[in-house]
Amino acid sequence: MVNSNTSALGIIFPNSYDMLIPELVNVRLMASIPFASRYRLIDFILSSMTHSDIGNVSIMVNNNYHSLMDHLGSGREWDLVRKNGGLHIFPPFAEKASKQYTGRVDALAGILDFIRDQKEKYVVLTDTNVAINFDFKAMIQAHIESGADVTIAYNEQEIPKGFMKSGPKDKCLYYTLDIEDGRINKIYLNSKEAGVKNLSMNLYVVERELLINLIEAAAIQGHVYFERDVLMPILNKMNIRGYKYDGYIARITDMKSYFDENMKLLDDYNLEALFSRAPIYTKLHGGDPTRYLEDAKVSEVMAADGCVIEGNVENSILFRGVKIAKGATVKNCILMQGTVVEPGAEIEYLVTDKNVTVSAGKAMKGTDSFPVYIGKFQTV
Amino acid sequence: MAKEMIAMLLAGGQGSRLYALTEKLAKPAVPFGGKYRIIDFPLSNCVNSGIDTVGILTQYQPLVLNEYIGNGQPWDLDRLYGGVHVLPPYQKASGSDWYKGTANAIYQNLSFIERYDPEYVIILSGDQICKQDYSDFLRFHKEKDAEFSVAVMEVPWEEAPRFGLMVADENDRITEFQEKPKNPKSNLASMGIYIFNWDILKKYLEEDEADPNSENDFGNNIIPNLLRDNRKMYAYHFSGYWKDVGTISSLWEANMEVLDPEHSGINLFDEDWKIYSRKSALTGHKVSAGAIVENSMVTDGCSIKGTVKHSILFEGVKVEQGAIIEDAVIMGNSVVKRGAVVKHCIVAENVTIGENAVVGEMPTGDENNVATIGAGITIGDNAKVGPKAMVNKNVEGGEEQW
Repeated sequence: MVNSNTSALGIIFPNSYDMLIPELVNVRLMASIPFASRYRLIDFILSSMTHSDIGNVSIMVNNNYHSLMDHLGSGREWDLVRKNGGLHIFPPFAEKASKQYTGRVDALAGILDFIRDQKEKYVVLTDTNVAINFDFKAMIQAHIESGADVTIAYNEQEIPKGFMKSGPKDKCLYYTLDIEDGRINKIYLNSKEAGVKNLSMNLYVVERELLINLIEAAAIQGHVYFERDVLMPILNKMNIRGYKYDGYIARITDMKSYFDENMKLLDDYNLEALFSRAPIYTKLHGGDPTRYLEDAKVSEVMAADGCVIEGNVENSILFRGVKIAKGATVKNCILMQGTVVEPGAEIEYLVTDKNVTVSAGKAMKGTDSFPVYIGKFQTV
Repeated sequence: MAKEMIAMLLAGGQGSRLYALTEKLAKPAVPFGGKYRIIDFPLSNCVNSGIDTVGILTQYQPLVLNEYIGNGQPWDLDRLYGGVHVLPPYQKASGSDWYKGTANAIYQNLSFIERYDPEYVIILSGDQICKQDYSDFLRFHKEKDAEFSVAVMEVPWEEAPRFGLMVADENDRITEFQEKPKNPKSNLASMGIYIFNWDILKKYLEEDEADPNSENDFGNNIIPNLLRDNRKMYAYHFSGYWKDVGTISSLWEANMEVLDPEHSGINLFDEDWKIYSRKSALTGHKVSAGAIVENSMVTDGCSIKGTVKHSILFEGVKVEQGAIIEDAVIMGNSVVKRGAVVKHCIVAENVTIGENAVVGEMPTGDENNVATIGAGITIGDNAKVGPKAMVNKNVEGGEEQW
């Protein structure tokens, strides 16, 4: 497969957009944010790559990456334990030339020797702030057929509030595309325009040789950002094309969107749309099934294994090993792994991080527009 | 480098009394407890007891079992030296043969054991639900300076005639063995779990093989021969949860006991003695508005829109609106359609139960019948399956099977 003309290697940027959701990345990074009761965000990209025969995947971890390393292990769950290729994790200082990076360009410049040594003809670059069940094969095929130099995946949607409200200090860059007959004429940086736009998914297909040339040239000039410093200046000279993604997309751009995108999956239609194309793999734990006891009352709940439910739960997402005691009421909440809700407690619109305890009889409420976040190991 | 003890797991049994469940499945591969298969118990016990080399002797319908075991990774048994090995009968220069009995199965794999040159070999059975620390058993075996030890359970005297019984003295030394006797002298039932000193095991298996009249069975031949020679044989008392799930009703009962770990003694939620299994990558399960779920266990990929009481649902089970499930074991990816009523039964994998169909019923009086539906069966709309039925062919819509 490695020598075939359609094979690609994947390069993932797991820290992209960390700054938009500081609560959740306090103890982790974007890629390892728990999502949809038993996954972490990177599972979607990794599984999609696996299903698209991308068996050589590099992860450019930048900081706060312990949770991700722990999650990925050897990469076995995504079938990424391979003799040729497999999973590579590049921490800062992985090679002589690499350090903590600011943008894609200095990140890739740090591992150019590695990229030169690979055999795949194409490279797929992507972030991890979206949950998608993506067909990379189809995109690579479209890239080949269109004769593009670089193909950028995008979807049509309004610019998320999380992007809009980010200030210059945040260094959050997002891109909207002006496209004519598939060709990108213009890339707008941090547009504040209202209405449905072609919003870049920061997911690229490019020929490996070309990527090496582009990065070499940009690095010499001290450039940092791939989109702003590399692609935008060459739009006229090269064939940079858009690839429209019509499938289900959950894009995490702030706490509110994190909450909403989880909750949307309680609708069977959305759940089906995200998960039915191909299975999403994740780290497997030795948990037992979830137990519902005598007095459990449950409605519109998605739950992982290992939970014990004796109380009332409504409209909520429960991760592994959540315990809801007798007489407790949980409404519109996302409870991460190991959360314990003690007897008689009442919570609403809460996002609890791992191993949070809500003490007996306590009541705590957020609102639909402002879910309250409780940090890891906290007791309410 | 020699291993101290390796395990040989007998997994060749047909499990004919489970009939509809084991038509295409070896008994150790029968699903259990929501996300396990029976063989997860002895395998997890091995790993938790520090045994890292396990030979699994298979013969009957091994395909599912082989795939399930794979490289042994879910049990941490993918090892460079040792690990789990599936051992079907194989052809040798001298000829080939099926496993003729439990002892013969081990005999045919003496060369496997020899590769690890262990001091002790533990013989396990692949059709029991039991959480047992084999390292404690080995400690006992060593303390007694035994050549052979057998794990025994005390059973009520009135049930003793159903078992192979060990008669032992006050030092636990075995003096007599009674196979299903009319007049039991002991109530210590053999669990079919043995520790042998390797040299003894080898000697007696070779001797047994040379005897043309032998049934090549541990209980009927090897143990009597050891007794005849006055070998140092000891009975190790085990008092934890143990269940031979050889019949439909015992399998059903063991599943129901999982739902009540506080009283039944089978706690799958024990962090200190985990039972490992091979898992799927399905999403978390979903309980919809209007659904009722009580006293039940539910796992990944399930979707519940109806009523589920005191039941176990395996992965990917769908329960549609208005369907009622009670005291039932529903295995992987089966679908219970609108209005169907499913009670007091075992439904195997990939079964479809049609709209308003009725399967099984709650027992009245002393009867304890468990309706059983084999894998892949379709029960048509409005069909009825009686409480004693063993269904291994599709039941058309509106028809009845008793």
